[in-house]
Amino acid sequence: MTDQQPIIETVDLTKRYDEFTALDSLSITVHSGQILGFIGPNGAGKTTTIRILVGLLKPTSGTARIAGADCLTESRKIKRLVGYMPDDFGKYNNMRVGEYLDFFGAAYGIGRRKRIVRIDEVLEIAGATYMKDLFVDALSRGMQQRVAIARTLMHDPQVMILDEPANGLDPQARIDMRTMLLRLAEMGKTLIVTSHILPELARVCDIVAMITKGRLRAFGTLDEIMRDIQQRRTFEIQLVDHDQVDRVVALVETWSREMNHESEVTGATTETMVRFTTGLNDREITPLLTHLVGSGEAIAQFREVPTDLEDAFLSVASGSHGGDPPQTQPATQEATS
Amino acid sequence: MSSAFNPVVQREFFGIVRSPKAFATLLALTITFSIAVLMRWPTDATVDLSGVQSIQVFRVFGYGLLAGVVFLVPAFPATSIVNEKNAGTLALLLNSPLSPLSIYFGKLAGVLLFALLVLLASLPGAAACYAMGGIDLKSGLGLFYFVLLLLVFQYATLGMLISSYVQSTDAGVRLTYSVIFALFFLTLIPDAFFPGGSGVMGTVAQWVRYLSPVPVVMQIMGQGGLGSKGLITSPGNMQFILFTLISSLVFAAVTISRLNYRIFDQSRAQGVITDDRGLVARLLRRFLFIVDPQRRKPGIPWYLNPVMVKEFRCRRFGRSQWLFRLVALCAVVSMVLTFAAATSVTSWGTETIGGLMVILQVILIVVMTPSLTSGLISGERDGGGWELLRLTPLSSLKIVRGKLLSVLWTLLLVLMATLPGYLVMIYIQPQMWYQVNLVLVCLAWTVVYTVAVSAAVGSLFRTTAVATTVTYVVVMSLFVIPLLVWLGRGAPFGFEMVQRVLLINPVGAALSVIETPGFEQYNLLPAAWYVAGGFSALMFLVFGFKVWRLTRPV
Repeated sequence: MTDQQPIIETVDLTKRYDEFTALDSLSITVHSGQILGFIGPNGAGKTTTIRILVGLLKPTSGTARIAGADCLTESRKIKRLVGYMPDDFGKYNNMRVGEYLDFFGAAYGIGRRKRIVRIDEVLEIAGATYMKDLFVDALSRGMQQRVAIARTLMHDPQVMILDEPANGLDPQARIDMRTMLLRLAEMGKTLIVTSHILPELARVCDIVAMITKGRLRAFGTLDEIMRDIQQRRTFEIQLVDHDQVDRVVALVETWSREMNHESEVTGATTETMVRFTTGLNDREITPLLTHLVGSGEAIAQFREVPTDLEDAFLSVASGSHGGDPPQTQPATQEATS
Repeated sequence: MSSAFNPVVQREFFGIVRSPKAFATLLALTITFSIAVLMRWPTDATVDLSGVQSIQVFRVFGYGLLAGVVFLVPAFPATSIVNEKNAGTLALLLNSPLSPLSIYFGKLAGVLLFALLVLLASLPGAAACYAMGGIDLKSGLGLFYFVLLLLVFQYATLGMLISSYVQSTDAGVRLTYSVIFALFFLTLIPDAFFPGGSGVMGTVAQWVRYLSPVPVVMQIMGQGGLGSKGLITSPGNMQFILFTLISSLVFAAVTISRLNYRIFDQSRAQGVITDDRGLVARLLRRFLFIVDPQRRKPGIPWYLNPVMVKEFRCRRFGRSQWLFRLVALCAVVSMVLTFAAATSVTSWGTETIGGLMVILQVILIVVMTPSLTSGLISGERDGGGWELLRLTPLSSLKIVRGKLLSVLWTLLLVLMATLPGYLVMIYIQPQMWYQVNLVLVCLAWTVVYTVAVSAAVGSLFRTTAVATTVTYVVVMSLFVIPLLVWLGRGAPFGFEMVQRVLLINPVGAALSVIETPGFEQYNLLPAAWYVAGGFSALMFLVFGFKVWRLTRPV
């Protein structure tokens, strides 16, 4: 559920270190209650963006605002509005989880009585109530992530920015983390989540921003991004006999040439399958099946390979190798790069 | 590099030598030794046949080199194993065909080779001293370098042993420096109580003294005592050499025995809490601990700086029960010292006892302060906590205040614990009331001064291990150099020079006020307070600026 007022807005956000541009004119808008998945390869500029948003980094140019507060000039407001969970846990030795949260609560100026209640609340939300008396430096990675979420929630921020929350977690812990993120969104929090585990993001995010080499490559809902990025679709033709493979490959290539369309066709004899990638739409591709059947080939299945966030990301990331990727238009009007 | 060459030696040695810090250290040492010798080099054409002048030069050079070995050598072995353990490369090494023995000796050789470079850098200075005449090659220069080599070997093996036990590099550095400081200095104190070696306690005290290299080095330098009466009888060269060799071999053997997969075996703390225990256990723990470390803490009250409370809580020995123990120990030691003076256990007067109390307190301050203060910022940056602190609305002023208060409170508690000793001293000699007050002011300034220097120096480094090492070296230099110059009072250093150098820290003023033998003639107050105040203010400004800078967006 979102309202019309954007809660996070960056305009032409740029960060340069001498000659190196870490972030190049990033403009995104996130509405209240949305979960934004922030995707990019290592060194793409995700953490730079996040650090600017939480007031740890100064942008070279451009602006970033959260709930109307400027991230650079109104850092005190930003600190109250945002809960940031860095990739690094930030442990303090010889401290119990309860004491750890108590310290951060006190640092945010929460009164003692309210703080004591709040510690139990956030531990419950993070599923970490049983960890309250454990020592922070003795926690496993998964336990640390839960405590970090609890710490981020201590001052009840409107916006939560989580850097790689699923990093190093086992499958069960990842599922728990996903559930927790959805629960936070239900509580009305706006979330920015970065992750390399894309299927996880795909399941929780309302919108996705893809960034490579400091530039925004795609921004919008997952469906919009698929539409924009995956201009070419992959189809699989499941055959009955191995000896059909070469014949069908030749038939598809000939048909594509006749249709004046470039298609990459590959045959896999062991799988009794032919795969081809094309830019044709559903209406244009239908005659191919008729053509194959008309040529006397027995077809067991004719299906499109579903694309997911991983494919979309790979498409963007591979486009950025060896130079700038092809310029893609942002999927929504708010996003321009 | 030949394949027969131990790859660990190659990596360790070149790893150390390639670092700009090691290069800067070697360069600084070479320049310092050269300047020290040049400063004392005779300027006229008169030949000093008695060799007095060359011995004066040799003393300055020798004590400087000894201090260099004590300060520099432990830093590398103290982090050697724990660094690899935490980085995960020790597991890789243990998984390789290299035996624990070759891993150990590879690491040890790397450290020893670097120490050898330090000693080599001093050879031109040593040669110049020898060329001036009056110094015997075998019993003077040769024995001195032999003692230094033994020390290097002992400190390297000790550092590596400690490094194999601790869980963090800064803990390794802290513990190694503390143990070495104890071996070097504290071992001299029991003999000061029971001079002459008569009786069981006297014999034990004398044997404890053999653990320190100071008596041997002082004998080589042609000095019989430490400047106070009755301390030196026999330097015990043989005993010192035997102890150093045997202890080094034991350290090495224990460390080698620890170089296996068991080094990674450590169960996680279970987080037992007293509140969940039975009534009897709760009462018993309350009785035993007074402040039970395992009881659930109430929230931080509004009137306390949360950063200060956090600092106390996350220090292993910062918890109340440890502070109580430390304070109690200081109170007992100061009472025992004063009791000794009052009951004439020793032939010393209250002035000597007062001097000893001052020295003990200064040792405590010098050992504790860098350990508590150097990691105030670098520890946070190392552990990722700094980023989180920056995200909170805490101002840089509040962070600075909380961090400094956590150190100052601890040290002030320790200082206050010695008040009963001074009170007994005033009771014995009421006319000392004014002097004791001045001494306490000097000691308070010493605390402020040491905290300021440690905080400022420590904040300049990103990693805690480096910050702790450099802070220890700087703080110890600030306290040891004036004492070394004082040891050379009369010759080679004149009265004016010694008086000026004693102003570097407020300890000389404290010792002079309480009329410790050898310090009575210096008039250091109030100049020492002004110097300490001005320098502390400057250091606090540096620390405050660094914290402010680190809290800004970059």
